[in-house]
Amino acid sequence: MSDSNILLDLQHARKSFGDNEVLKDISVTVERGEVLAIIGPSGGGKSTLLRCCTLLEKLDGGSLSFGDCVVATDNGSGSVYGGSSVLREARTHFGLVFQNFNLFPHYTVLKNLVDAPVTVQKVPKDKAIAKAYQLLEKMGLEGKQDMVPCELSGGQQQRVAIARALMLDPAVLFFDEPTSALDPELTKGVLKVIRNLAEEHMTMVIVTHEMKFARDVADHVIFMDGGVIVEQGLAVDVIDNPQHERTRAFLLSEE
Amino acid sequence: MDIVVLLNEFGATYLGLDGNLTLTLLLTRMGGGLIVTFQIFIITLIGSLPLGVLIALGRMSKVKPLAWLMRLYISFMRGTPLMLQLMAIYYIPYYVFGIKLNLLNIGPMDIVGLHVEIGWVMTACCIGFILNYAAYFAEIYRGGIQSIARGQYEAAEVLGYSNAQTFMKIVLPQVIKRILPAMGNEVITLVKDTSLAFVLALAEMFTVVKQIVASEVTMIPFILAALFYWLFTIFAEFVLGRIEKKLSYYHD
Repeated sequence: MSDSNILLDLQHARKSFGDNEVLKDISVTVERGEVLAIIGPSGGGKSTLLRCCTLLEKLDGGSLSFGDCVVATDNGSGSVYGGSSVLREARTHFGLVFQNFNLFPHYTVLKNLVDAPVTVQKVPKDKAIAKAYQLLEKMGLEGKQDMVPCELSGGQQQRVAIARALMLDPAVLFFDEPTSALDPELTKGVLKVIRNLAEEHMTMVIVTHEMKFARDVADHVIFMDGGVIVEQGLAVDVIDNPQHERTRAFLLSEE
Repeated sequence: MDIVVLLNEFGATYLGLDGNLTLTLLLTRMGGGLIVTFQIFIITLIGSLPLGVLIALGRMSKVKPLAWLMRLYISFMRGTPLMLQLMAIYYIPYYVFGIKLNLLNIGPMDIVGLHVEIGWVMTACCIGFILNYAAYFAEIYRGGIQSIARGQYEAAEVLGYSNAQTFMKIVLPQVIKRILPAMGNEVITLVKDTSLAFVLALAEMFTVVKQIVASEVTMIPFILAALFYWLFTIFAEFVLGRIEKKLSYYHD
């Protein structure tokens, strides 16, 4: 398989907060069309890994690139990031869906979707609006365009957030525990949307606590604990037949 | 019956105003003062609302010397009397730079649709009010800006907004909604603080009223002045209420 199919390439990532080493030599690659689920106990480094990939945190060591866009290289003593234009370019390669949605509360649903493409990518407004209506339909949110986020349920808000991320045509879509803030009832709708995206071969990296969902939707699973990748492999293998004692213990506790 | 005659009749009968000072004459003179009061009020807001944003941003800057300087500025402006600041600003050009104060008079100008002679007194007064109120506004802005969740910044960052776009489009509109009650307090205080301009003998309403009370030996102008200020603040409350209502289409 050629290198151009690798959309996310993170190598030997290290990250500490003070004395607390959160990521210890983590390497992750994601290929086009792949769905990767990252599971593991809280404090295991999953979220930090995601935040480093989405440039919300900077690596202490290791390299990161999105396709041809090299974000950071490791010169032996630590990560060296590209300039602001590189970071700006890198951000066009991915989208992020937050645990708490982080919609803009003062904007209507439509404006939440349309504003970034129009402001940042200079997409013509009518084009952006047409696309927004398509995505709203796809998310099961027809007719909600003029509402503000506070008028929607958590599940609807999260689906708006997914649509907002998709508006920018990301190559990779990251999810940071997308259903952790939702009632089980509302979780279903959000998982269904992600499942549909997987069927369309959207490349996704999902930090999640939904084991059944991870097994069904993800191609690969990474189990992280204590800042290291304890186990990784095909989703069915890792979740149905974990090799490592820590993975087994974790999966038992999640049931 | 003519309204002027009616008013003067009323003034003579119930307020004891007659001879030199009829009620209409009193209202006319106070009205002139009220216009100046309103000008100070508007100019102060136009100047200090944006200046406060800059000071708040400086105060929160990662550039430490700038942050400390802004902190010092806020502390000084809030820690010394506005009356003293007004007088200091008025005299600084002369005592520090040796400039004759009448040279600083600006000619006739149109301000909020009114044709006025702007003397140095008016200019100094507005500078003083703007500098002072910007310090208070800056702290209110800072509180508002710091209350915006990190996630809003992160969402904007991931979507590719620049820092300036994030602030203007995402943060500031939400800040305005949150700080409106606190800003309302300051705006209403400002209505009444304009009366401090009397120390520069600027002919705003309070200065005019004080002169009339002294020369005509009557308390009536004070009562009317209280009524005028109160009506002015009721108007301010009304406008603030409208803005608050307009922003109530969402909560977070």
